[in-house]
Amino acid sequence: MTYTILITFIVLALLRMPLAFALGLSSLVGLLVGDMSLAIMPQRMMHAIDNFPLMAIPLFMLAGELMVAAGILQRLVDFSNSLIGRVHGGLAHVAIVAGMVLAAVSGAAAASASALGSTLVPSMRKQYDSGYSCAVIASAANLGAIIPPSNAMIVYALMAGSTVSVGGLFMAGVVPGLILTVGFMALASFIAWRRGYPRSEHDLNLRQILGQTVRALPILLMPVVVVGGIVAGAFTATEGAAIAVVYALVMGFGVTRELKLSDLPKAMFHAAITAAMVGALIAFASTLTFAFTIDLVPMRLSGWIQSLTTDPTMFILLVMGILLLVGMFIESNAAYIMLVPLLAPVALAYGIDPLLFGFLFVFNLVIGMMTPPVGVLLFVMCGVSGIRLQTLVQSAWPFILFQYVMLALCVIFPDIVLALPHALGY
Amino acid sequence: MSATTLKRAAEGRTPRCLPLRSLLKQVDRLSFLTLVAGFAAMVLLVSVQVFMRYALSSSIDSAAELSRLFFVWTIFLALPHGICRGVHVGIDALVCKFPEKLQHWCWRLTTALSLVLMLALSWLAWGAIQDKWQELMPTLDVTAAVYYIPVLICALHSVLHLLLQLLEDTPPEQPEVQ
Repeated sequence: MTYTILITFIVLALLRMPLAFALGLSSLVGLLVGDMSLAIMPQRMMHAIDNFPLMAIPLFMLAGELMVAAGILQRLVDFSNSLIGRVHGGLAHVAIVAGMVLAAVSGAAAASASALGSTLVPSMRKQYDSGYSCAVIASAANLGAIIPPSNAMIVYALMAGSTVSVGGLFMAGVVPGLILTVGFMALASFIAWRRGYPRSEHDLNLRQILGQTVRALPILLMPVVVVGGIVAGAFTATEGAAIAVVYALVMGFGVTRELKLSDLPKAMFHAAITAAMVGALIAFASTLTFAFTIDLVPMRLSGWIQSLTTDPTMFILLVMGILLLVGMFIESNAAYIMLVPLLAPVALAYGIDPLLFGFLFVFNLVIGMMTPPVGVLLFVMCGVSGIRLQTLVQSAWPFILFQYVMLALCVIFPDIVLALPHALGY
Repeated sequence: MSATTLKRAAEGRTPRCLPLRSLLKQVDRLSFLTLVAGFAAMVLLVSVQVFMRYALSSSIDSAAELSRLFFVWTIFLALPHGICRGVHVGIDALVCKFPEKLQHWCWRLTTALSLVLMLALSWLAWGAIQDKWQELMPTLDVTAAVYYIPVLICALHSVLHLLLQLLEDTPPEQPEVQ
């Protein structure tokens, strides 16, 4: 049954059938070949979606959509601009800082990329070349899936079962996210200096910083309330996401006053469709996971990998190598759904901290969102700016390389990832 | 969209597809309204539950179950809308190397297979609804089949979208960047 499912899935996926439907059809074929009841399929699909933590994904997406519709981005850009003094590539720094704050609000890298791209690319292009501008914004947007809240981490935690908590994974992303932000800024500055891009025109001004901080304070408080509440155990990730939506509504109607009642159905519809794309993958993959479990695939895979190596570090390197390749070709959500149920139990068998493995897994696939040929963020930036993929990749590679260096550092020094969640009791 | 695809789209909208297209327009509209209402109810329930827990030290017994039910409806109702917008991800690393005509045949084949999957799912979901009709939800006096109804609607709605695409011989547009 397993081989039939795998062969059918690979053939259909290579013919460019939507991955969710390829998973569904190959599971159906597998159930027929395995002489199992087909009634399992709707039951597994419904149970996979009937999941309270999964609700956090559309809710965080809606919060992000509403925040952008509420006009918070300009406030974030103005706030970031006030923090950046006379440095090379000043506007690139503004994009990275704004990306970091937006990451703490929206949780989705692709949404951050389109929001930041459409706002900042026109002004960045006046000072820098298009490739550099888009590469900086794609890198800044990538922080969206590392800095909490992160939809990618929610999907991982769901697929890994009860072995890892969403709050713990969120905290695991904080320190690497901050290091990445500082690293991106240093890299952007270095490239700007090498290319002779102009410095920002204004000096740091305390009064301006204070003014812009006060103006952006309601936005800056949102991640403190939402993520703080989740980590403190005041509410679950899903409840935190619902609070984020209410917060965004209050911001849009009461503070910025740019949100209109007519924006709401469109925002909900857009968030629902994006969540349904992930939901379809989860629903159809649930039957496949069930068939694999009946066929003892996770146990056999675990045995096979353990026969290759008994060293946990070698196992992590092996998985990272696989994910590096997978991330280049497969959309990250599909990769979580197909691989986490298989690999997370094996990592536990090796005695690897589930938070470390989860973070490395997510980070690797997040980098994959910027690597060709299938890099979602590259496609979004090409769509926003109209530049060629090749031009963007040429400018993006230093940022991609830096992220892989950071990934390697997290493998070598796991405390970068684990110190904060362990200190908080996860 | 390539010139060939645009030409096909123009040729594809023949009068024989018009009844299906207008039916789909109505179904899409109804589905959109239900979906938005379900999403709004889900947000409202979860946030009211948090408010009640902290401000009034009480809770709605069925809030978690009802919000999950709204979520199931929202996701399954939104899934067919993703089909006509081409948001469901696939791997085109191999197919994009094929000549355009072969690429189009691959699309026809996978769309027809998706249609078969959705027809099978409709039939299976209908069976599940019949099986669960007598069961009640844990906290509400409502049949547990309400969880499976959106799966049936999703499958039938998807069948209509996939059928229209095949009849018009036009692949979905690529997702818009917003």
